[in-house]
Amino acid sequence: MIKQRKTVVYSPESRIRNPLKLLSEMWQDLLASRELAWRLLVRDISAQYRQSLLGVVWAFFPPIVTALGLVVAKNAGAVNIGATDIPYPAYVMFSMSLWQTFVEALNGPLAAVGAAKPMLAKIKFPREAIILAKLGEVFFNFGIKLILIIGLFLWFKISITWNAVLAFVALIHLIVLGTGIGLLLAPFGGLYGDVGRLIPLAVTPWLLLTPVIYPVPKQGWFSIVVNWNPVTPLLVTIRDLATTGVLSNPSGFWVVSVLSFALLFVAWILYRLSMPLIIERMSS
Amino acid sequence: MLNLPEQELYNPSDDKELVLSVKNVSKRFCRDLKRSLLYGIQDIAGEVFGAQRQNVKLRKSEFWALKDVCLELRRGEALGLVGANGAGKTTLLRVISGLITPDHGSIEVKGRVAPLIALGAGFNPILTGRENIYVNMSILGLSKEEIEDRFDEVVDFAGIGESIDSPLQSYSSGMAARLGFASAIHTEPDILLIDEVLAVGDAKFRAKCYRRLSHLREKGTSFILVTHDSLSIMAICDTAIYLSKGQNVFSGTANVVVNKYEEDLFLGDSGREFSNVGNEMILPDKQDNYGLHIKSVSFRDKNYKVLEYLSSGRLANLTISGIAFEKVNNINLSVIINCLSGSNEEILVLKSSFDDQTFDFDIGKFTLQLQLPYCGLKAGIYSAKINLSDSLYFNILAFVESFKFTVKSNENMSKCSFYQPRNWIMIDEDSL
Repeated sequence: MIKQRKTVVYSPESRIRNPLKLLSEMWQDLLASRELAWRLLVRDISAQYRQSLLGVVWAFFPPIVTALGLVVAKNAGAVNIGATDIPYPAYVMFSMSLWQTFVEALNGPLAAVGAAKPMLAKIKFPREAIILAKLGEVFFNFGIKLILIIGLFLWFKISITWNAVLAFVALIHLIVLGTGIGLLLAPFGGLYGDVGRLIPLAVTPWLLLTPVIYPVPKQGWFSIVVNWNPVTPLLVTIRDLATTGVLSNPSGFWVVSVLSFALLFVAWILYRLSMPLIIERMSS
Repeated sequence: MLNLPEQELYNPSDDKELVLSVKNVSKRFCRDLKRSLLYGIQDIAGEVFGAQRQNVKLRKSEFWALKDVCLELRRGEALGLVGANGAGKTTLLRVISGLITPDHGSIEVKGRVAPLIALGAGFNPILTGRENIYVNMSILGLSKEEIEDRFDEVVDFAGIGESIDSPLQSYSSGMAARLGFASAIHTEPDILLIDEVLAVGDAKFRAKCYRRLSHLREKGTSFILVTHDSLSIMAICDTAIYLSKGQNVFSGTANVVVNKYEEDLFLGDSGREFSNVGNEMILPDKQDNYGLHIKSVSFRDKNYKVLEYLSSGRLANLTISGIAFEKVNNINLSVIINCLSGSNEEILVLKSSFDDQTFDFDIGKFTLQLQLPYCGLKAGIYSAKINLSDSLYFNILAFVESFKFTVKSNENMSKCSFYQPRNWIMIDEDSL
C-alpha cells in the first residue's frame, strides 16, 4: 500500500496573500492540535499539582482570601460599597472568581509561548496546541472555582434559575475576550519583555474599573467609565444569569461578545503570521 | 504461461523519488539584538499587510546565514552536511523543517519531517519517563494510536530499566538523552534530520541507534546528517554538502566532500596544505621543534615503492617517516584501523608494545614500518589513526588523525570477511 504523503512548499511569500489557503491551513492545524493540546494540558496540570501539598485548593484560595479582606473592610466601614443583590461575601467571591478567570485567559497565550520556547525554537508542530492547552487550564481552574461558588450559593441560600446554565455560555464569551486580547499581545510579548510586565500593571486598575468588588454604579462619570469597560457587560451578564435570571444589559453583552469573537479571530491570524518570525529570533 | 501471484510491481522510479528539493534558499539574520527585535516588528507588519518580498536585501547589522543553497534528496538517501561551526547547517535544517521561512527561494518537502535535533522536546522534569514519552511523541506528530503501538518498543529501546517510572529530574543527562532519542527514532518519518546527536549514550546504545537508523533507511527514510564526526558521514552518507558562511561551496559524494572540508579545516589552521600524492600522505610542518614529528605516511611494497592501494592477501608495509628532535626511547607505535565503507567499527587495534616491540629514536630523521606480510582486510575504504606514544603511560608524542587508504580484492574475496592466508594440499596420513 502506498503511503499517502503530503507535499508542502515553503516560500518567502506572505501567507496573507492567499487568504483562503491561510484559513484552510489554520483550520487544519486547529484540528491537528487537539490531541497534542490535550497531552500538554494533562502534562501541565499533573506537573503543577504533583509537587504541591495543597494541590487544587490553590485554585480557590485567592478569591476566598480577597473576599475575606474586603468583607472585613466593608463591615468596619473602611470602604464605602453600595448594596449588592446577593449577600456581599457571595457577591465578592463569585465576582472575583469570574475576574480571575478572565485574567488567567488574558495571561494564557503569553505564558504558553514563554513556557514552550524550547519546543517552539526546535520543532515544528501546530502552534495552536499550546494556546488550546492553556485554555484548557483556564477551564479546569474555573471548574475548581465552581465548587467554591456552588458551596457559596448553598451556604447563603441563594436561589438559582435554569438560566444559570446559560451563565456558562456567557462565561465562554468572557474567556474569549481574555484570550483574544492575550493572543494579540503574545507575539509582541515574545519579542519584547515589556509586554509581560505591562499586563500585571494594567490588570490591577482594570479590576477597580470593573464591578467586581462593588455593584454596578448607576450614575456619575464613573459609571460611564465602568460601562465602557468591555469586561463589565460580560461579567454582569454572567452574574445576572446565575442569580436573578434577568439581564440588565443585553445589548451591551451582545456587542462585546461579537467584538470578542472578532478580536479572537484577528488575533489568531496575527499569531499565525507572526510566530515564524518570532521563532527565528529565539535561540535554539 | 505462468500465473504469477499478485504482488506489488517493483517500480524503479520509486527509489529515485524526490522527497526534498531546496531551490536557491537564502535567509538573513541580524547580529544586533535590539535591532533584530525592531526588524521583527517590521517583518510582522510586512507579513500582515502582504508586502511583496522581491529582491530582499540586507538591512543594517544583517548578514546572510544562508545564501542560494540548493540541494536535492531522494527516498532512502542519506545526505551529509558538513561545515565549520556557524556555517549555517542548523539554520538550513530549521528551514527544511519549516520552522523558519526563507527570504529567497523555496523548499518542497514530500512527507513527514522529523528532527532529531532537540532530544526531549516537551519533557517536563516532574513527570515520569513514561508520561514524558507520550508528550514527546505527540509533539513529534504522532497520534494516540501510533504512540501506543510503539510505546513498548520505545521503552525497550531506551533501556533505562526501572527508572522509566521515576520523575525525569532524577535522570542523568545521558538517560534523559537516551529517552529522547528512543522516542524520536520511533516516529518513522519520511525525512529524518539528525543534528549532532549521534554522540549520545554509551557505545552499546550508540550501536543500537546505528542499527535502527539503517533499518529505517532500508524502509525508505531519507536522512540529513549534520555532525563533525567525518567518519560517521563517510560511513553513513551517500552524498554530502559542504557549507561555508551560508553558502554551498562544494557538493558531491560523501568521501570527496569530507576530504575537501578537512583540507580546508587544516588549511585554516597551519596555513599549509595536506598533499595526498599517489597515496602518500605528507603532513605539514609543526611550529614547535621538540619531540617527534611524523612527516609522511604511506603504504609501500617490498621494493619500497609507494602503493596506490592495498590488495587483500598481498604484502603491504605501512611506512611512517619523520624527524626526531630529541633522543627518546621505548616508543610504541599504535595503528588503529576503522572501516569506513560499512558500519564504521574499529577493525584492527595494533600496538607495537603488545608485541613486545618498542623503538628508540636518535635525533634526526627516522622511518618506521609496520610490515604486513599479507593484507588481511577485505575490499573497502579504511582510515588509520596512527600515533607514537611512550610505552609506559601511552602519552602521545605524535599522531596522525586519519590516513585513508583503499583496499581492493579480486572476486574470490567477495564472500570473505577477511583474507585468510592458506594452502591447499592433499596429505597421506599413512606416511606421517
